Amino acid sequence: MKPINTFILFITATSIIATLTLAAGCSKQSTTETKGVAPSTVTPQTSTQSGNPAPGKTLSKLGDLTAFRALAADVAAIVEKGDLAGAKTRIKDLEVAWDSAEAGLKPRAADDWHVVDKAIDKALSALRAAAPNASDCRQTMADLLKTIDSMSSRS
Amino acid sequence: MNNATTTGVLSLSQLLNKVPEVTLAFWIVKIMSTTVGETGADFLAVNAGLGQGVTRAIMGALLTIALFMQLRARRYVPWIYWLTVVLVSVVGTQITDALTDGLGVSLYLSTTVFAAGLAIIFALWYRLERTLSIRTIVTRRRELFYWAAVLCTFALGTAAGDLATEALGLGFKWGAVIFGAMIVFTLIAWRIGANAVLGFWIAYILTRPFGAALGDLLTQANTYGGLGLGATWTSAIFLTVIVILVTFAQVNSGKVTPAKAIA
Repeated sequence: MKPINTFILFITATSIIATLTLAAGCSKQSTTETKGVAPSTVTPQTSTQSGNPAPGKTLSKLGDLTAFRALAADVAAIVEKGDLAGAKTRIKDLEVAWDSAEAGLKPRAADDWHVVDKAIDKALSALRAAAPNASDCRQTMADLLKTIDSMSSRS
Repeated sequence: MNNATTTGVLSLSQLLNKVPEVTLAFWIVKIMSTTVGETGADFLAVNAGLGQGVTRAIMGALLTIALFMQLRARRYVPWIYWLTVVLVSVVGTQITDALTDGLGVSLYLSTTVFAAGLAIIFALWYRLERTLSIRTIVTRRRELFYWAAVLCTFALGTAAGDLATEALGLGFKWGAVIFGAMIVFTLIAWRIGANAVLGFWIAYILTRPFGAALGDLLTQANTYGGLGLGATWTSAIFLTVIVILVTFAQVNSGKVTPAKAIA
């Protein structure tokens, strides 16, 4: 293949990809609207649960975490029942869901994403310990739910 | 027996070049192997439940085997070469991830270190070989330089791409557009006379975050602005394209045209 043909083909391919990307980008603008706002560095765990944050407070941009919260709540409920093996199985669904949404969620608010990610990691380690400790599991799950709620209350 | 003397115009060194011609197919496979490598490693670590540690060990071992086969091969063998690239892509990504997530190294630091590492590899390569040509990978030492540089570009591409996501909040849509535009810019610069070897390596770095963004665009759910194909379908499609292109290259690898070899 001649270099010039390669060049033209490459330009064409890249243009198609770029157009496709822009089209996908235009259909979903809400995530970019809040770009440039620094994520909150304080975690207002004592803040009200109303959807009305105080003026001046920076909002979390992670968006809708309902699906992840529901999975976490489910795991926590299984832990409460004392079924640590069952909880270990169930938390994998949360891990897979969270992991596969990383590319979509993380750019919205990387700092907040890391906070939730770390909380999930702790819960995973507690449940996957060689000899899982019931109170550790309960504690890490409670912390995880609190972390998710602190994000949701700000969105 | 088809040796150098029977092929006339071809010199021995050209016959033994161990890396492929840089064509459109080359870049397509290179970009897609980034996505497949990453989703493959993710699948083993998360879905198959092996965890990051075991997955790293497996990928490291597979890369060692592939690299060994690549170094042992007497000429360019498409499937071995591309298998090595996919595995280097995985391991390069894992090195950056291990530094970031495991050791808490900042992406600014890792980006700087990998950029410096790459510069050192090129400096040593040039100092010893007096060329950085990717068309004359004809000695063991040049081949080792080549793969060291490739590994470094994948680690650098991962760190720089993640940095763009973390620091600039650059999502995969804008990532694909911006990295794609930078690739086109590099291509244009090369066409109007910029150094070909430099252009190749810049494109090699840029195609890593571009490939990742493109993969995310296809895999991510509609909610996040992706096309919602999911990792399985995206990997299946990309893998099919890779297999077709590499098979094509494999079938054609015996037939070297004089025009190409001289160029």
